[in-house]
Amino acid sequence: MKESGEAIRFDHVTKRFGAMAAVDDLHLSVRQGEFFSLLGPSGCGKTTTLRMVAGFEQPSEGSIFLEGEPVEKVPPYHRNVNTVFQSYALFEHLDVKDNVAFGLKRRKVDSGEIRERVKEALELVQLTGRERSKPRELSGGQKQRVALARALVNRPAVLLLDEPLGALDLKLRKQMQVELKGIQREVGITFLYVTHDQEEALAMSDRIAVMERGEVRQCGTPEEVYERPDGPFVAGFIGISNLLPATVENGGVKLASGQRFAAPVPGECSDGSEVFVSVRPEKIWLDEREDGMVSVDGTIVERVYVGTTTQVIVELAPDVRLVALEQNAARQRSDDRWEIGDRVELGWHPEHALVLR
Amino acid sequence: MSAVRAPAAEPPVEAAPAPARSKPPKPFDRPRFLPAFTAVFFIFMFAPIVIVALFSFNSTRSLQRFEGFSLQWYQRFLEDESLRESLMASIQIATVTMLAATALGTMLAFALVRARSRWAGSANVLMLVPLVTPEIVAAVSALVLFTQIGMQLSLQTVMIAHVTFSISYVTVVVRARLAALNPEVEQAALDLGATRWGTLRLVTLPELWPAIVAAALLTFALSFDDFVLSFFTTGESPQPLPVRIYSAIRFGVTPTINAIGTLMLTVSALLILLAIMLPRLVGRRESGLGVLVGRESA
Repeated sequence: MKESGEAIRFDHVTKRFGAMAAVDDLHLSVRQGEFFSLLGPSGCGKTTTLRMVAGFEQPSEGSIFLEGEPVEKVPPYHRNVNTVFQSYALFEHLDVKDNVAFGLKRRKVDSGEIRERVKEALELVQLTGRERSKPRELSGGQKQRVALARALVNRPAVLLLDEPLGALDLKLRKQMQVELKGIQREVGITFLYVTHDQEEALAMSDRIAVMERGEVRQCGTPEEVYERPDGPFVAGFIGISNLLPATVENGGVKLASGQRFAAPVPGECSDGSEVFVSVRPEKIWLDEREDGMVSVDGTIVERVYVGTTTQVIVELAPDVRLVALEQNAARQRSDDRWEIGDRVELGWHPEHALVLR
Repeated sequence: MSAVRAPAAEPPVEAAPAPARSKPPKPFDRPRFLPAFTAVFFIFMFAPIVIVALFSFNSTRSLQRFEGFSLQWYQRFLEDESLRESLMASIQIATVTMLAATALGTMLAFALVRARSRWAGSANVLMLVPLVTPEIVAAVSALVLFTQIGMQLSLQTVMIAHVTFSISYVTVVVRARLAALNPEVEQAALDLGATRWGTLRLVTLPELWPAIVAAALLTFALSFDDFVLSFFTTGESPQPLPVRIYSAIRFGVTPTINAIGTLMLTVSALLILLAIMLPRLVGRRESGLGVLVGRESA
């Protein structure tokens, strides 16, 4: 589906619980048909934001617009959104079919159409044949699918998902990520997805809003937030970031440990300003170099084998460490090349060093 | 068996006791005397009841020797108008108590779980007081209250007393279930377009249903065979069955008493059976009894 308009707009929305602002002056716009993720650590206000869209919480200030209409006065049962809850929240006394039909029955859809749409929804989540099962007879992954079907069958303007994969094991979670993304593309409904799992957000989203302490730190495509983080928080929260404190010097940077190298310093940073330098591990070369590369020496202090790669942790100076990745390709195994205690040369292209403040 | 083919990754310590394979390891926590102990327990518990039931079918007055099968004591009971009235009175009292206490106790459970008042904590504790108050104290205070306000003692006063002390039982049972109910389930109903009233009717009450049924049957049973409260708060006639039995015993124990006892036992047993069957009849896999004895559904 083409992005044709605005599905949700948060207009300076603040939500306070007592003195604490769970969401602080949120200003965001989610396009129609978009897979939009709210990403952040627990307590960052992402779930509160979702619950305000669903209608379970009221903003203390500001307004929320659903398809252009303000929703403050609309109770949850009249909002054209549906939620997939973290706990699934299935109705234990109803079977799968009646769980999925619940929303349609409330809207007085006629029974023939209900049967048809429930059937389609169960096909979509691959649960055909389990119509008569009770939720207690299903596995975690199947319950998740029922919860998804129960929400999608109503064809809401926006589907709200609150860490829906949080309770699943890793393998199932990866599989469901792919399926969810596929389902979203197929039905074309706007997804507002809450997660604390950065990999999940990167893998599925069209755009991500990274939140911290009730505020959006950065909003952009997965590539933007990963490759061009706006600040140390975003860089640190997404991926391994190798965040090193430094100061700006002669258009380059100087690490606290003394190393100097060239880096693209943003215009607003003058000499002497305190910044962070971030270099993604996969951008670091070990004992290899190309023309124009920055190079720094260090000692290997740890090697962590994680399957397809080995993380090589290099100490530049006491307490100044960088993580580099070594591919465990067939042609070479990094444990043949380096031991703990070896001196290595780290290299990267200057444009891959991000200067953040 | 599988231990033989265990992968090499298994530590050798595991493989060492292989010679003892012929004798399976003793299951932990299952001493041999437990079945005997259980048997003795059941004999002590049920033998007196079985004897009472048995002698209700005796053909003579004897309570020592069984001399032949007869239903005469049941017939006597049914022919005795005052006993029959007492049975009807007890059924009435128990039915009213069950309906009123279940409704009120369920509402109280909602208030205690859902209300966000600073008194909620104290109310939760106060609610338990009737459960630990000696029944004689409750009975005497009820009696004093009724006479002070000039209320004529009758079946109605018994009902009021019974409802009062039964509410706590209902609340305890229903509150546990309600507190365990995931709030997201009700939110899901709202989210899917059910109004608040619809959510209560379509989701909350059905989720509480096993607890409510269990509580209702429990209060019926408690009220039906209650003696102390009934004794203090009843009027002259008709008296609740347990009180009537007590007065009858003063003129000597006859097998009629056994017959009444057996009938009451049957009623209670039927209630328990109902508690187990009813939720299943409406398509639930868990029983009200299960909720009552604390066996939560898996």
